[in-house]
Amino acid sequence: MKSANRARLIFLLPGALWVLCFTLFPLVYSLGLSFTDKRMGRRTRPGEFIGFQNYQDIFQDNRVAEVMEMTIFVIVGSVLLTVVLGTFIAWLFNHEIPGLRAFRSILTLPIFAAPIALGQLGMILFNEQSGPINHMIRGVGLDPVYWITDPWSARFAVLIVDVWQWTPFVFIIVLAAMQSIPDELYEAARLDTSSAWTMFRRITFPMITPALGTVTMLRLVETFKILDIPYTLTGGGPGVSTQTYSYYIYLEGLRFFDMGYASALAYLLVITAIIISSIFFWRVRHRYDIE
Amino acid sequence: MRKLIVLCVLLALIVPSGSMMVGAQDGNPFEGMSPEDLFPNAIDDVERESAMAALLAANLPDARDRFEGEKLTVGVLASGTRGVISGGVYFWREAFQAVTGAELEIIEIPFEQMLTTLTIDFSTNQNTYDAIINASWFYGDYISNDWIIPIDDYIGAEGFPVWEPEKVAAPLQQLLTWGDNWYGVVNDGDAQMLYYRRDILEDPEWQAAYEEEVGEPMPVPPRTWQQVLKVSRFFNGKDWNGDGDPDDGISLHLKVGGQGHFHYMALSSPFAITPAEGDDPRAVTKYDNIYWFDPDDMTPVINSPGHVAALEFLKELAATGSQSQFGWELGEAWDNFLNDNAVLTFSWGDVGSLAQDPNQSVIQGKLGGAPIPCSEVWYDRELGEFVEDAENPNCVGNLVGASWHGVISSRSNVPELAYYFLAMQANPSILFWNVVYGWTGVDPSSLPHLFPPAGEATVEDYVAAGYNADDVESYITAYGQNLFDPPTTLTYLRIPGTPEYWNILDIRLAEAMIDVLSPQEALDAVAEEWEEITDDIGRDYLLDIYRESIGYSPE
Repeated sequence: MKSANRARLIFLLPGALWVLCFTLFPLVYSLGLSFTDKRMGRRTRPGEFIGFQNYQDIFQDNRVAEVMEMTIFVIVGSVLLTVVLGTFIAWLFNHEIPGLRAFRSILTLPIFAAPIALGQLGMILFNEQSGPINHMIRGVGLDPVYWITDPWSARFAVLIVDVWQWTPFVFIIVLAAMQSIPDELYEAARLDTSSAWTMFRRITFPMITPALGTVTMLRLVETFKILDIPYTLTGGGPGVSTQTYSYYIYLEGLRFFDMGYASALAYLLVITAIIISSIFFWRVRHRYDIE
Repeated sequence: MRKLIVLCVLLALIVPSGSMMVGAQDGNPFEGMSPEDLFPNAIDDVERESAMAALLAANLPDARDRFEGEKLTVGVLASGTRGVISGGVYFWREAFQAVTGAELEIIEIPFEQMLTTLTIDFSTNQNTYDAIINASWFYGDYISNDWIIPIDDYIGAEGFPVWEPEKVAAPLQQLLTWGDNWYGVVNDGDAQMLYYRRDILEDPEWQAAYEEEVGEPMPVPPRTWQQVLKVSRFFNGKDWNGDGDPDDGISLHLKVGGQGHFHYMALSSPFAITPAEGDDPRAVTKYDNIYWFDPDDMTPVINSPGHVAALEFLKELAATGSQSQFGWELGEAWDNFLNDNAVLTFSWGDVGSLAQDPNQSVIQGKLGGAPIPCSEVWYDRELGEFVEDAENPNCVGNLVGASWHGVISSRSNVPELAYYFLAMQANPSILFWNVVYGWTGVDPSSLPHLFPPAGEATVEDYVAAGYNADDVESYITAYGQNLFDPPTTLTYLRIPGTPEYWNILDIRLAEAMIDVLSPQEALDAVAEEWEEITDDIGRDYLLDIYRESIGYSPE
C-alpha cells in the first residue's frame, strides 16, 4: 500500500510542480503585484503596497472606456457569428454530401493556424490598395473599403478574421453533437412534418443546446482575451479603435511596465470572465433543472 | 622548357586570383579570406568589391590577441540581414570576427518591442546585450538607470578603430552625449527634409498648368508648408505620371505605431516654436524655442494654439494624398513615393539613397531635395497671438527620428570588444559605405558625408557609388542645409519617460487624423496624459533634467 502511494505521488509530482510553478505562483504573484505601484525601470515606483489604488484607477481611466467599446463589439459580434455560422455549417454537413470528409478537413484548417499568422494573412487580404478583397469589391463596381484606416471597417476586419478562425471550432463541436442525435428521432418526426426548419427547431436545436452552451462559454472566455489578431492586423489602430481590453493590458504591462496596474487590469478581466461564465452556467443549469 | 611554360601559365592564373584574396601576408587578420568570405550578404560584385576597399581603407588594428574567443552580443532593430540598421551590422560581421577573433551574435529586436525588451533585460538582470544600436530617445531612461557607460576613455585610445567624433555634424553630436560625456558612437543621422519630383515640378507644362489653376507661379522647390500644401493639392488626383490612374500629391506614414508622430514634429515645429530675439535665435527662454513643456513647471505646451494649428494643417496636407496613408508605416509611404505615385514627401535621408537603388525605386534621376519647409504662420506664446509673415517665414530645423547609434551596456563583460565593434562601424570609410548604400538605413551624419561649406564630400564620391549626380547634389545639399541653416532647431526630447510621452502623442495624433478626435481634443488629451506621466515620474526630478537638456536657466 505504501509503495502504491509512493508511486502515485511520484506520478503526480511533475503535474503538481507544473501547476504550482506555472499556474499558481504567477497567479498569486500577479495578485500581489496588483496591490503595489511596481513599475519596472522607474526608481520612484519600486513596488510599495498601495491597497486598492490600482483597482480604483481603472474606473477613472478613460483609456479603459475607449478599449471597452472594441472589446464589447468583438465579444458580441464574434461569439454570435461563430456560433450561428458554426451551427449552420454543422447542420449542412450533417447531411449526406459528396466529398464530405474532404470539405470537413479543409474547413477546420483555420483552427490550426496561429492567430498571429492569420493576422498577417489578414493584412494581405485587407490591404486597401492591392488586397484581393478590395480587388473583388472594385471588380463588382463598388468603392474600395478602407479596412485598415477607417475605424469601423478596421473593427470589422478584426472581427472577420476572428470569426474565420473560430467558426470551425464551433462547427466541429456542434457537428459531433448533431451526429450523436439518434436517427430514430428524425425518422419519427418525418411522419408528422417534412419541414427541415421544424425538425431543426424541435429536435436538433434542443438536443445540441448543451454543446452550444459549452461552446458559447468557451468562445466568450476566449474572445475576452483577444489580442493577437488586432495586434498583427491593425496594430490597434487606426488610433486606438481596434485596441481591446487585453491589448491594453499588454501595453500597460509589457510596453510601459506598469506591472501593478496591468496586474489589476488582468485580475479585473479574470473576475469579469468568472462572473459572466458563472451566470451563464447558472442559467444553463437552471434551464435543465426546470426541464 | 615545357614544364617552365606550364609553370608560368599556372603562376599567371594563380597570381591574379591570389590578389583577390586579402592581405596574403603574415599577421594580416584577413589572410586567406576573399571578399566572398568577408561579405556573404553582398548581392553583387560591385557591393562586395567596394566594401572590400572600404574595409582595407579602414586600416583596422589587428585585435585577435586581445579578443580571441570572446563573444559580443549586439541588440539591433529587427529588419533582417539586408534591412535598415540591422543590415549594416550583419554585413560587417565576418570582417569584425576576422579582425578580432571574437564571435558576434546579433539579436534583432522589433521596433515596437525595443523598449520592452531592453527594459526587461536590464531590470531583471538578464544582461543579454553588450552593445545596443539604440534610438536616441532612450537616453533619459538609460542614463537615469545607469544602464549604459560613457565612452570618453575609449575615444582615441590605441588598439581601436579610428572614428572622428569631432566630425559628427554639430547638431547631431548632442544626441551622442549626455552632460559632458560621450555615450554614443556615431552611426545614423536623422532629420526630416522635403523630397519632390524634380522632373515634374520643373516641367514647364506643369508649371504653366499650376499657374493657370492656382493663380501664381509654382514654387520650385516649395519653401514653406503653405506652398507645399498648394503644390500637393494641385497634383493630387491628377495623372501626372501618365499611367492612366490618378496619382497622389503627398505620401506620408500615419499609422499608429508607424512613426507618424515624427512627421508631426517636423511639420509643427515652425508653427509652434518662436526663435529668440537678439543675437542668438537658439537661446531658450520661457517662451522661445519651447516645444514640449513650459520650462518653469513642466506644463505641456503641446496643446497650445500653434500646435493645434499645425495638426489642423497636417490633416489638410494628408488629404492631398492617399486615404491609405493612415494605415501606412515607413516602408509603404517610401514605396509610394519611390514608385512614382506621389509628387512630394518629407522624410529622412533614406529616401534620398533608396531613390538611387533600381531594385527599390523608379525615380533615379528625377529626385529633388529641399530643407524642411518653414511656416508663413506661427504662434507666439509670449504675445498670445498668431503671426503671419509670408516674406519672412518661421524656419525651424529638426533632428526627429532615432539617429540609430551604438551604446555600451554597463553590465557588459566585454565593453572593450563592444567599443571596438561600434568604432569599426563608425570608421569613416566603413560609415561612408553604409551611408551610400541606402538599404543599410544609415543616413548622413558627419562632415565627410555632406557637401561644403560645412561638409567635405563631393558629388563624385556619391556618383562613384552609383548615384545620379543631379539627384545627389540636390539631396545632400538640402540635407546639409537642413542641419546647419535654420536659425533654430526643435529640441530633442531625451528625458526619462520620452517613449511614453511619444507613444501617447502618436496615438492621439492618429485619432485626430482619422477624425475620431478634433485636433484640439487630441492635443488636450495628450497634454492631460503627459501631466499624469510627469507626476508619475516626478515633476521636480524631470524639470531639472528637462531644463538641462534644452539649456534653460530660470530668471
